[in-house]
Amino acid sequence: MSTVKTDFGGDRGDLFALMLRTSFLTVITLGIYRFWRTTKLRRWYWSSIRPGGIPLEYTGTPQEKLMGFFVAVIVLALYISLFNLAGLFVAFNMADNDISYMTYAIGAAPLALVPVIFAARYRARRYILSRSTWLGIRFGMDPGAWGYAWRACMYWLLAIVTLGLLWPLMTFQMERYLTDRSYYGTAKFRQHGNPFMLYPLAIPFYVLGAAIVGVLVLIAGETEEATIGWYIILIVVLSVLLVLSGFYFRIASLRAMAGLKELGDGMEFGIEPRTGKLLRIHIFGNLISGFLISFVSPVILGLVVGFLYLIGRVDAGAITNPPPNLAAFLGALTWLTVFILYGVFRQVFVTYPTVRHVAATLELEEPAVLQGIRQREADRNREAGGFAEALDVGAAF
Amino acid sequence: MATMTPQRDAKFAAKLALAYGEILDGIRPALQRVSLRLSGDGGTLELRNTATNTTEIWQLDGLRLVPDQARTDALVLAHQGSGDARLILRDHEAIRALLAACPNLPDLGSGRGSLGKLLALGTAAVASIALILFVLIPFMADRGTDLIPPEAEVAFGRTTFESLSETMEFRECKSLEGDAALAQMQARITDGLDLAWPLQIRVIDNPAINAFALPGGQVAIYRGLIDAAETPEEVAAVLAHEIGHVVNRDGTRSMIRSMGSFGIVGLLFGDAVGMSAAAGVSQRLISSAHSREAEIAADAFAHRQLTRAGLPPSAMGDMFARMQAQGLGEDMGVFRHISSHPELRDRIEAAMQADTGAANGAPVISSAGWAALQAICI
Repeated sequence: MSTVKTDFGGDRGDLFALMLRTSFLTVITLGIYRFWRTTKLRRWYWSSIRPGGIPLEYTGTPQEKLMGFFVAVIVLALYISLFNLAGLFVAFNMADNDISYMTYAIGAAPLALVPVIFAARYRARRYILSRSTWLGIRFGMDPGAWGYAWRACMYWLLAIVTLGLLWPLMTFQMERYLTDRSYYGTAKFRQHGNPFMLYPLAIPFYVLGAAIVGVLVLIAGETEEATIGWYIILIVVLSVLLVLSGFYFRIASLRAMAGLKELGDGMEFGIEPRTGKLLRIHIFGNLISGFLISFVSPVILGLVVGFLYLIGRVDAGAITNPPPNLAAFLGALTWLTVFILYGVFRQVFVTYPTVRHVAATLELEEPAVLQGIRQREADRNREAGGFAEALDVGAAF
Repeated sequence: MATMTPQRDAKFAAKLALAYGEILDGIRPALQRVSLRLSGDGGTLELRNTATNTTEIWQLDGLRLVPDQARTDALVLAHQGSGDARLILRDHEAIRALLAACPNLPDLGSGRGSLGKLLALGTAAVASIALILFVLIPFMADRGTDLIPPEAEVAFGRTTFESLSETMEFRECKSLEGDAALAQMQARITDGLDLAWPLQIRVIDNPAINAFALPGGQVAIYRGLIDAAETPEEVAAVLAHEIGHVVNRDGTRSMIRSMGSFGIVGLLFGDAVGMSAAAGVSQRLISSAHSREAEIAADAFAHRQLTRAGLPPSAMGDMFARMQAQGLGEDMGVFRHISSHPELRDRIEAAMQADTGAANGAPVISSAGWAALQAICI
């Protein structure tokens, strides 16, 4: 029995340069270049993840992404407008004279997009897998977006009406649906295990939830104002812990389910991201990004006014009291720079370390299974993640 | 695509001959070691598999660079016609030699997806959005307005006015004589009209020069408009314009339009450039494009109705011209949706032209009524 470990070989500086260049182009092309940006980032990240020293490769192209996007826009525009209008007429005719029903009915029209969003995510995943290779062999996924969509809708509904009691069930079932339809070459992935194995991981979440409900009950029965103040502080603390325990559940369940995936006949996996580490990455990564962003405005002000002062166009007072058109120019320049740089910093200080940490913990057991695997047919599906792009439910890149 | 000009020098060939690479054949998930050799006068690359002793031939000008690789210590190459196969070079000397020999190595995939097809599809996407926003939804709104029962529309208008009244802190002005004068004015300009619902005309204590019509016959005039008018006929002209909106069911139609197009423009932008803001602006532009038509139609209605009532349509032109001359900007409520001077000029001109001089000279309300209306908020 041998284990294949994974190393991560991407350099943060290279990513910064790539992200800065592509984000700038995205802004000046009014967003068209974002398909190129996404593709380049994926190629870059894929090639830096190297199980057994061999990099993954992303083979998607920006052109097919743009095509898929255009098709999705046409279909979705029709779907959305027809649904909006249908909802409106139903509401008007059902509501009689009670206008409040109508408000609810109109507000509910965007719900028509929920199943489409789930289907879009499935398709985006299928597209990405079909454009990913390792050792020259493609991954792939069976069609099944609508099956995924209605299941996801049902499980979400169940999880919400049971106040989260069925959240682990949903997590497991949806992951199994995705895994059992995925392939590497001719070999199929399988998700083993069962939903109940995730429940222990959710215990902190449930305990904290119950504690919050308990404190709320105490508040309702309390008349002393000072005591209520303490209870409220307690609720705030418990709520922060609740969010953290939810974060823990997501990562721990990912870990648990990854350990029970099988490829072909016996190849197994391990992904061991640590909750604490990912939490630190998110907190500090966002703090650093925000901190760096705070320098943008003074730096731009200093550079532009300094330059104008040097060529003799403004006097020294302009730095504290710029004339209106200069102020407007500085404002626009600052907004644009902040917009570009914030995305770049978050990519470099949050997404990059997250991917690096998760990738570096990936292990493959029983690589001998690979010997029986052969290439699979290319997936000619042209959807190319277009729906996810139009609905803006894509991932970080 | 740039054609390759391999420098067929012996040095390059010699360097490569010492080098090994690894090949992924795109059939089995296994890395295979190959030795490299230049042949065919330097135009082809021979890849000899050291384990199986089989040889594959790659044309140098069929070589493609796999782009955007995170690591620069290895070169990943593909070959046109060799499918999913990849050649990985790690030997720095060999990489340098190859790049020197093929300086314009094209990226893999850079030729795929013809520009013409992309442009055609892009145009189709933008055109279909435009078609939906400017043809389909207005059509559905025109048809759909008739499908909405009048009672629902009246209820909707009332609720809308109530919530508007709450947020804007409207105070309604009422006086016995003022209300009577308003009712007289209404009777005169709605003479011969068959309305699906009763008009509900209010005066609101607000200094802005404004008036608006909501679905279901709700019309409001601001005190500022009465103050700014020099004759009661000018108020009557504005009122006739607002009644035009009621008759044309513009409030309902524009509501259906904006609800119908909700979320469509946003599809195009994603969040690429903070574009949700841009989407909001476009939405605003679309709705104001729709309302410009509605304003002109309401003007035309007012001209007809005023003429029929023996009142001068030019009163509206007089009022607008005076306000324009006084430099009251287009941000005044009466000029809403009117974004440029020519349009305002057009409206003034249309009002003047509509005036056939047929006015019978009888004032729309008595001078005592006019005084009462002017004092309605006091």
